[in-house]
Amino acid sequence: MSSDAPLLEVRNLKKHYPITEGVLKRQVGNVRAVDGISFAVERGETVGLVGESGCGKSTAATSLLRLEEPTDGEVLFEGRDITEYDKKELKRFRREAQMIFQDPTSSFDPRMSVGESVAEPLTVHGMRDRERRRRIVKDLLERVGLSADDIDRYPHEFSGGQKQRIGLARALVLNPKLIVADEPVSALDVSIQAEILSLMKDVQTEFGLGMLFISHDLSVVREICDRVAVMYLGEIVEFAATDELFENPQHPYTRALLSSIPQPDPTKRGSAVELSGDVPSPSNPPSGCRFHTRCPEVIPPEGYDFEQKTWRSVMDLRVRLGRDGVNAEAVREFVASESGQEPESVPADRVRAEIRREFDIPEELSDPRAEEVLSTALRHLANDEQAEGRELLAEEFETVCESSAPELRRTPAGHVASCHLVSEAESNAVSTPSTGD
Amino acid sequence: MMGGEDYRDRFEDIDWDDMQRSGLDSLTTQTAGFLASLGVVALLLVYDYVVVANDGPTFTTPFEWDVTQLDWLLVVTLLTVVFFAVYPLYDNPRMSRRYWREFRKNRAAVVSGVFLVGIFGLGLVGPLFIAKPDLNVLAQYQPPVFLSVPESTVGTCVGPVSDGMCHGTWQYPLGTTGQGKGIMKSVIYGMRVSLEVGLITPLIIIIIGTAVGTVAAYSGGIVDELLMRYVDIQLTFPTFFLYLLLLYLYGGTLFLLIVIFGITSWGSTARLVRSEALQRREEEYIQAAQSAGASEFWVIRKHLVPNVSNTVITNASLLIPSLILFEAAFSFLGLGDPTVPSWGQVISAGRSDIDTAWWISTIPGVFLFTTVLALNFVGDALRDALDPRAED
Repeated sequence: MSSDAPLLEVRNLKKHYPITEGVLKRQVGNVRAVDGISFAVERGETVGLVGESGCGKSTAATSLLRLEEPTDGEVLFEGRDITEYDKKELKRFRREAQMIFQDPTSSFDPRMSVGESVAEPLTVHGMRDRERRRRIVKDLLERVGLSADDIDRYPHEFSGGQKQRIGLARALVLNPKLIVADEPVSALDVSIQAEILSLMKDVQTEFGLGMLFISHDLSVVREICDRVAVMYLGEIVEFAATDELFENPQHPYTRALLSSIPQPDPTKRGSAVELSGDVPSPSNPPSGCRFHTRCPEVIPPEGYDFEQKTWRSVMDLRVRLGRDGVNAEAVREFVASESGQEPESVPADRVRAEIRREFDIPEELSDPRAEEVLSTALRHLANDEQAEGRELLAEEFETVCESSAPELRRTPAGHVASCHLVSEAESNAVSTPSTGD
Repeated sequence: MMGGEDYRDRFEDIDWDDMQRSGLDSLTTQTAGFLASLGVVALLLVYDYVVVANDGPTFTTPFEWDVTQLDWLLVVTLLTVVFFAVYPLYDNPRMSRRYWREFRKNRAAVVSGVFLVGIFGLGLVGPLFIAKPDLNVLAQYQPPVFLSVPESTVGTCVGPVSDGMCHGTWQYPLGTTGQGKGIMKSVIYGMRVSLEVGLITPLIIIIIGTAVGTVAAYSGGIVDELLMRYVDIQLTFPTFFLYLLLLYLYGGTLFLLIVIFGITSWGSTARLVRSEALQRREEEYIQAAQSAGASEFWVIRKHLVPNVSNTVITNASLLIPSLILFEAAFSFLGLGDPTVPSWGQVISAGRSDIDTAWWISTIPGVFLFTTVLALNFVGDALRDALDPRAED
């Protein structure tokens, strides 16, 4: 294909792991670690992939390099789909794309000297001349800031930062066009992080590498990336140029992540957005927008008048009802132990008040119609009629966030984001957010 | 960045299209040498069975040697050891020096190593030059040299007799058995037996066990399931009774003992290796090798096997002595090869005369004891020496 195809283009990549049960390994479900992500990396460009741990970043990396077979989707490398490659083509591709790993300790074979480790890709690809391999490795070790004499030393003799330099050397030795760095500095001290990042930057500029930089740390991403894709639960929720993303985040999840970066300026502190609840399980992701179970800006139901914060609290109650349920008996016992009463003698309204307190819901909602729905539902809960309570709330307080999944759209700010809040602007859905501008 | 040094060779300058290797030249010197040697052995084997007259000796010059099945097996085993343990040491002197530096730290192991080299060296070449111990009714119960026993316990004293005491002679330096067999010769032949049992059987066990264990762990899924369920079945298999059965059907031979135990008792080794390899395969260096384009075989051979070698060596250092003791126990019970004078057999032969002719059982017993002890020391030191992390 033509050379103006991006270096790497990922289209609707999916990686699902089957959940099996019993001796016969019957498949009972899927862990949707990566569930349809699309992005592109140009030559000489660094693209960041950020998200909480468990959101599928690393799986995305291993599947797009075909270290694991992707379940679905296409990965175009210089315009050719690597998921179609046969063994020989794949081995050739391995020369073009390399990986840097998170854990500097585990990423080197303790039984091999670092020289052997760095030279291993050369040997694998057929360089038989041992002396030449040694010359190349010595040269490379010096270029990543180590000494040529380190070639015969073993990994345990190096510090984490040094090992990450060696890891970079190993990734470079085949002269690749693409480097996938999976949390390369997360295991390092902050002072060392800066050194490694600037080394990676230098190397990238020198060789015009395309780089996919995976991290959970936005401040690191800001240092090194040209564009950033934000991942949540196996999906990309926002994709934009780094400056744009940091200045004008469009997706509530991005805003929450950004606010978690420590602020050196004391006057700007205190605005941290706190995400409620845990990351849902990728084996059973929430319906609609996957973030709606935790989103601080989740859209209130039509026809009711909610304060945003209160609505989030009510949603928390709903999420809990949908997942684990609220056990009235346990609440009653808790109240009893707090007030020194017998559990049987705790009145129902105390139980209802306790549930409100637990979820931070005010004693009375400002909208009387909403209040009526809520108190009816709470009455059900206090009577241990969970199903009724849950259904009532689900029916009355249904939000667009849970009923329909937002598509990735170009936002007015020029980003690509998937959120119902930004979709209305001037929307045509973007199928492949391959270019950010 | 520095420049102008003579080792300058940059990774950007590699022309990979130059380097597409063909099937044949991907053979390393090591494997090529090994295969060639195996070829030579195979030719000799054909020569032995087709050309040489039945029961005639295979070689007559420089010495007469009728190569037995067991000898062929021993030759192949030694070739394997030479090409896969000794050659890499020769090929990579840097690595060998480091191993030696580490190994040397364990004094007891060095002494044990020298002792074992002596024992096994003697066992290897001794039987080629020394005739098998003969029955000799005129030389029963001779005491070892420098020792003496009352003449009454000895049938005919070969050495000088003084004050009613029979003295040992250099003709039988370690004395003789009740059948007049020289213990010295028996012990040397016994070294050969221990060498064969202690080398061939563990090698078979370790090769199969390591291969099965690492392949099962690395492949996972159905391969893992099949291999490990087979191991489960094999572990319930009564090797001892199979051996007894074959013993009564075909007569006991050392070859049978070695082969039967080799191919039926690798199950526990495979299991140990698998559990270790399962942990290792999750390490990032495995993924690094894969992302460099290494094949399954390469990853198993270069990363998984070396990193489970702790387990393998520990396992081998337990296996070898126990197999040697096992063979001795079999011979002691009379279930061994009656034509081969092993240590166990000699110990057994002397057990009824222990009060009058203590040396018959004791001398081979001492050899057995010291050999097993030395093997344990060496195994321990080897495990430490081969692990770079043990260095201080």
